[in-house]
Amino acid sequence: MRLTLPVLIAHGRYGRRMGLGPESRINMLRNILTGLVRHERIETTWARADEVRIYAEKLIDYAKKGDTDEKAMKMASFWLTEKDLVHKLFKVLVPRLGSEQRGYTRLFHIPNRDSLDRAKMAVLELRGNPFPPLVTRQPDSDGSLLNQLLRGYREEETQSRAAGGD
Amino acid sequence: MSATGLLDVFRRSFFHLESRILQAIGFNNHAVVPALSVQGPGIFPQLHRNEETEEHSLLDNIFWMAAPKKRRTIEINRCRRRNPQKLIEIKTNIEPCSECGNLKQKHVLCGFCYEKVRRETAIIRGQIQAQEGKPLNNPAVETVVLYEGEKPADTDAGKRIVERKRQRPSWFTQY
Repeated sequence: MRLTLPVLIAHGRYGRRMGLGPESRINMLRNILTGLVRHERIETTWARADEVRIYAEKLIDYAKKGDTDEKAMKMASFWLTEKDLVHKLFKVLVPRLGSEQRGYTRLFHIPNRDSLDRAKMAVLELRGNPFPPLVTRQPDSDGSLLNQLLRGYREEETQSRAAGGD
Repeated sequence: MSATGLLDVFRRSFFHLESRILQAIGFNNHAVVPALSVQGPGIFPQLHRNEETEEHSLLDNIFWMAAPKKRRTIEINRCRRRNPQKLIEIKTNIEPCSECGNLKQKHVLCGFCYEKVRRETAIIRGQIQAQEGKPLNNPAVETVVLYEGEKPADTDAGKRIVERKRQRPSWFTQY
């Protein structure tokens, strides 16, 4: 992380203040996390998505310990308010995301909200979700200018080498 | 009865009422005379001096307040109003989206492309909701979306299938 002035002033604290207090903040993040586990792709304000990301990754790290682990079960039952999602977490998300180390979620910036507040919005999604992808990488086509120039250069090189060799 | 006569009457009645209230409280006129009279400066002169000095300093302060000496000329006004600190910053991070050509910010997803994806996901979610029937009925299995004419592959063995009655859009690639 870059050593900017706000980072130095924070003295190591990285949690944002949200809602009506620490308890309200945790409740809000718990609701958003439940929504993320249920829908696998959610749209919120950027600050909330950033905070939930930390908790989502930690929850999946706990869930990786397994169904039988007491601490993991306690964490899952606290953080997921809807109890059918606890099963989904252990049986679906852990096998899907178990092979990765840390990057279980993806956070994208979207254009500001349409309402009066023009809030900075983001989309938070779990990797491997069944929905259409948000970012498509265009494959390099042979018809693009750069590729055509490189092709011409390669052909010239081979020609000159063949001529030089003869 | 004239207007001034009426006002007189009202004034006198008000003062009479006031004296009656004061009498009721116990603050009688005849008790206002000081019990002890002292020669020379007593307590009261000090108060008067404070009031007098305060009033004088207030008037003096009014005379020393800041005020512009000259009219600011339009040239000086323009310099202040148009210096770069006050102008809106020009954004250099706007570029056209490579997919649709609409303008987007570099670090933000294209609004048009995102809207397309959002609508499709909303429709898929509607289908999922219809399949689940009641709330809190999420099955602990993966989901796969199949479009018209597509069949589930071998890898989609135990998954929940969501069917969409349309052709697969070009931007929804099957990995």
